[in-house]
Amino acid sequence: MIEIGVDIGGTFTDVVLMRDNRIAHYTKVPSTPSNLIEGVRNGVTRALAAVDLKPSDVDRFVYGSTVAINALIQQKGAVTGLLTTEGFEDVLEIGRHKRSHLYNLFLEPETPVFLAPRRRRFAIPERLAADGSVLAPLDEKAVRTAVEALSGQGATAIAVCYLFSFRNPLHEQRTRDIVREMRPDIHVSISSEVDPAFREYERTVMTSLDAYLQGAVGDYVARQRDDLAQIGIEAKLQVMQSRGGITSPEAVMTRPVSLLLSGLAAGVIGSKHVAVESGQHNVISLDMGGTSCDIALIRDGAPIVTNQTRVARFPLRMQMVDVNTIGAGGGSIAWVDTAGSLRVGPQSAGAEPGPACYRRGGTDATVTDASLVLGYLNPGTFAGGISLDLDAAKAAIKRVADRIGLDLITTAAGIHRIVNARMNDEVRRVSVQRGFDPRQFTLLPLGGAGPIHGCALAQDLNIARVLIPDTPGVLSAFGLLVANIEHDQMATLARRADHVDLAGLQEAFRRLERRGQAKMAADGVAPGDVEIRRQADMRYVGQSYELTIDMDKKTGDPIAAAVASFHSRHDTMYGHSNTAGSVEFVNLRTIHVHRPDERENPPMKSASAAAAKPVAHRESYFDGGFVKTPVYDRKQLSVGQEIEGPAIVEQADTTLIINPKQRARLHEDRSILVDIPHA
Amino acid sequence: MHNDAVDPITLEVLRNRLEAIAQEMQDALVRSAYSNIIKEGHDCSAALFDSGGEVIAQATALPAQLGVLPTAVKRMVAIFEGKLSDGDVLAVNDPYDGGTHLPDICLIAPIVKDGAVAAYAACIAHHQDIGGKTPGSLPTDSTDIFQEGLRIPPIKLYDKGARNETAFAFIARNVRLPKITAGDLGAQLASLHVGRTRLASLLDEHGAQSFRAYMVELLDRAERVTRQFIAMIKPGEYSFEDYLDDDGIDRQTLVRIRATVSVKGSDLNIDFTGSSPQLNGPLNADRAALMSAVFFAVKSVTDPMGPTNGGSFRPIKLILPEASVVNPKAPAPVNARTHTMKRIVDTLLGAMVQAMPGRVPAAPCGSVRVAIFSGLDDSGEPYMCSDFSTGGTGGQPQRDGVDSLETDIANTMNMPAESLELNYPIRVVSYRLWEDSAGAGRQRGGFGVEREIEILRGQVTMTLREDRHRTQPWGLYGGRPAPLAIAEIKRGAGGYEKIPSKGVYRLTAGDRVRCRVSGGAGYGDPLERDSVNVREDVIDRKVSVEAARESYGVILRPDLAIDIAATDVQRAKLGEARGKISWTFDRGELGVQ
Repeated sequence: MIEIGVDIGGTFTDVVLMRDNRIAHYTKVPSTPSNLIEGVRNGVTRALAAVDLKPSDVDRFVYGSTVAINALIQQKGAVTGLLTTEGFEDVLEIGRHKRSHLYNLFLEPETPVFLAPRRRRFAIPERLAADGSVLAPLDEKAVRTAVEALSGQGATAIAVCYLFSFRNPLHEQRTRDIVREMRPDIHVSISSEVDPAFREYERTVMTSLDAYLQGAVGDYVARQRDDLAQIGIEAKLQVMQSRGGITSPEAVMTRPVSLLLSGLAAGVIGSKHVAVESGQHNVISLDMGGTSCDIALIRDGAPIVTNQTRVARFPLRMQMVDVNTIGAGGGSIAWVDTAGSLRVGPQSAGAEPGPACYRRGGTDATVTDASLVLGYLNPGTFAGGISLDLDAAKAAIKRVADRIGLDLITTAAGIHRIVNARMNDEVRRVSVQRGFDPRQFTLLPLGGAGPIHGCALAQDLNIARVLIPDTPGVLSAFGLLVANIEHDQMATLARRADHVDLAGLQEAFRRLERRGQAKMAADGVAPGDVEIRRQADMRYVGQSYELTIDMDKKTGDPIAAAVASFHSRHDTMYGHSNTAGSVEFVNLRTIHVHRPDERENPPMKSASAAAAKPVAHRESYFDGGFVKTPVYDRKQLSVGQEIEGPAIVEQADTTLIINPKQRARLHEDRSILVDIPHA
Repeated sequence: MHNDAVDPITLEVLRNRLEAIAQEMQDALVRSAYSNIIKEGHDCSAALFDSGGEVIAQATALPAQLGVLPTAVKRMVAIFEGKLSDGDVLAVNDPYDGGTHLPDICLIAPIVKDGAVAAYAACIAHHQDIGGKTPGSLPTDSTDIFQEGLRIPPIKLYDKGARNETAFAFIARNVRLPKITAGDLGAQLASLHVGRTRLASLLDEHGAQSFRAYMVELLDRAERVTRQFIAMIKPGEYSFEDYLDDDGIDRQTLVRIRATVSVKGSDLNIDFTGSSPQLNGPLNADRAALMSAVFFAVKSVTDPMGPTNGGSFRPIKLILPEASVVNPKAPAPVNARTHTMKRIVDTLLGAMVQAMPGRVPAAPCGSVRVAIFSGLDDSGEPYMCSDFSTGGTGGQPQRDGVDSLETDIANTMNMPAESLELNYPIRVVSYRLWEDSAGAGRQRGGFGVEREIEILRGQVTMTLREDRHRTQPWGLYGGRPAPLAIAEIKRGAGGYEKIPSKGVYRLTAGDRVRCRVSGGAGYGDPLERDSVNVREDVIDRKVSVEAARESYGVILRPDLAIDIAATDVQRAKLGEARGKISWTFDRGELGVQ
């Protein structure tokens, strides 16, 4: 069995090729932003050639892509129209009217008006009551007039969001039928399918975005399919979705918004896999690249999936892997604020011009420059052959140092401390806010810069263990091949727990399960190979925000069990629970999961080899001064070999910094586990 | 490193950590709350304070409440210093003893380290009801504070972790929705729980003495920066005045806010002499509210994006005339002071723009519409819900104002129609942008909104509180003011009848209330606005063809193409009729100055 995973990122396209459940080859090629497909073709061709295979040998092909998030950030989606209940055509523009900067007088819009400006928003007379009953019937003539007007404006996608459609989708469905009948080429997204939950602004954003992305995603998916066919790949294609499961490209084309976090999700799934393989079930993955740092939690061997987050300032209410991004990376720029305080990021020098030490025209001091000055990086070899200019790094940091009145080294160390503190705060926020104690997790740093900072971060966070996978650079592409096929379905129940009858609840779940099963069948998965999970979003009667509770227990009264776990979760999150209070079920959800075959990790070839010696020594900065630090080549390490910090381990795609008193050990699966001592 | 040394790196690390903690407290409060005013409206705020009661970090919340908390915490420090232990929670809402208007209850938790208070975690939340003469406790015609609800003096709500059942019982007995109040107090306690836990571990990490040293430095730095910015302002005396429609009782008399700002070196003296005497109605600004408005205005023209803490306040000196709208004497009513705070900011920014042209936008809509509906639901239980909407922001030197967005001291969220209708017997009939509601300008204001609500069942008491029904938001440098806001009631089959900006009304099933909050004022000469942008607004049906012609001098053909020749003629004609722009402010009916 030959499988290929391709992660198409902004800078690099990573390809992993597996033969019979083992990685046979991996490669990184530059992405081709103008036409992403070209980069995929280059990478795939190269990987196949390396192991002497033909395109037709490929049995399975999975990819993850940033195409959707790029279309959103660059505002390059479809010309989209929006039909709303009459009187509510401006909800998308008004939003929730809260601003994000408190004291700035020069305000900017907080809502994604670009999805559908006012000229393309049309009021449709119709109205449902809060219980879904019809107060005013759908004015079909108004729908037709709007579709004609939108056609005239060149719209290729239409979003429909009527009030209370999550209670009764008939008006939205009928509207879709009318559009299809008039203009079968126009894509329609209806809110009762995209995001069937209350709060009209949030639902309108999701639905409009889904329609908006249709062009970019649909076009891309189709072209990718055609191009792969052209080079002779006949394998079944699959795509990563935002919630961390894969599905068919056809399924994504009907729900483009599900592709939004495709790339990020693949990284989290890859992290999850290597973590579980190494026996670590509670892991915080920290993917630190050039411009940003993506942080995700893996709990009990599964990534945390959330319903509510923000991407590019806008609220996105969908099932997605809970990845939190902050502007902290190797390229983050150090600067001095008006109060004379040293700050780091979120501005980044990016890849171009890049840090001062890249000698590509950058003059700002960055985190990477600080890493070089502190002796953590090897000036000779960095990220596959770039050589770094120590003098340029020193000059850049000196300029910052002079402004705050500190010396060069203290400033460089300070830049590290500040960027670490920002990541530290984010890790703490991400974990603690979800009710988890970071000290009970293992830190898994990846990305080019992650392992430079990981062990220092763990020290600050009181985390006991750091896990560095064998190939942190291509973990996302690997993640694609170990991901489950997944589909989630949701329905609103909105009923107090003491008014829910068990038979009705089971029937509601069964309805969702039938929908999920149909999607699984469309992905070619037999019913026997599917695991079904049930969840409920619950809250105290009177609250507005829910906690998600698993309802998988097969024994006892599932309603009582859900209520009991809700009380205990509320207590964990907020420090109190109200066991006398009424609890309500808001939404029910099923998740259909099909797991791929087990992956094997090949045994290390030289398990008995002698412990590797350092390949060099370097003056590096630890605990307030420079010490002569041994540098190891990761390829030479033997299984079970222990290294005591301070030490540096270099590999092609990253550098691991082990701090004093920390102990690293190479695991059988080639990952390195670092023990962090705490007082 | 020695504990008594302050290094700039640790300072930055600490500052970030404190802001993260404040934000976490805010999130816990919103997510576990029960009333729609908090969980949908986000009318609540969290912040952290040093042992002296100086604010050291704020959540992204409401400047109005964030600016009020320092007064409350300082009052608590004065009263309880030396008598505080771990597990204590202090409460206050009395505007004459550290609080602000009565619905806003402040809860404050000391964090004790090495036997002394090292910091405070505090949060403030607007409770749906705190008793008094009207449901929702915002009577627009109260004549003393006793009509406004339950006054909570500074008390211990928890004493060393033990719940003060007496206090809780008193509160429960004096409010209309005791379960909701209890739930929201629980959400505030959840917020303090988060703040206390995180601050305690931060203090363990740094030690109380070192922490103290860093806080001193943090505050000193903010003062230095604020002074640097003040020193860059052209020295001199700058006066301005602006108005509120009325005091809620006497509908004929405008309420005047007058301020003279003296810039001298790095000091800022603000003298409110000339403001209206103390009002009979509830628009008096209590001390905390006034401080909050002043803080916002000064922060926004000095270092708006920099760290926010008490140090920024040090260069400011205030002169507040006794027994005036900005310095009322107990027991004067204060509940409706939100609009007074907004007008204080407008006044101060109007004074400052004379000293720093180009650094202040034209006036925003100047009003947050607050409506409270109260009645009995289907099961005969009393309900109460708040509903907010706001208008546009003012035109800016570089860009148009923003449509319907909270400005200055306010920063709540609106209530989703679906949230209201799922829970209460009211219906939102429409919620849309109000066409032609933005002041014209080279950069026009943002647009206001119209929101209409229908009562579905039974008898309802509605409290309505708005402003700018009688005076317009001012335009700058030729920019035009925004139109007056309008509120109307439609009873049964009758027509829409205009109502004043503030009042308490009885409504019955089928009645409707329609409110239009205006847009922001314009900035710069509207005749200089790029005609392409005017046309875009017409295509978006935000500006009418008539307004394009009369306000901007842009003539559009029936197909909405620009008639360039006719536009040139029209612009020349309008320019001649108006004359050269020799004024800074345009207040519409009140003239230019």
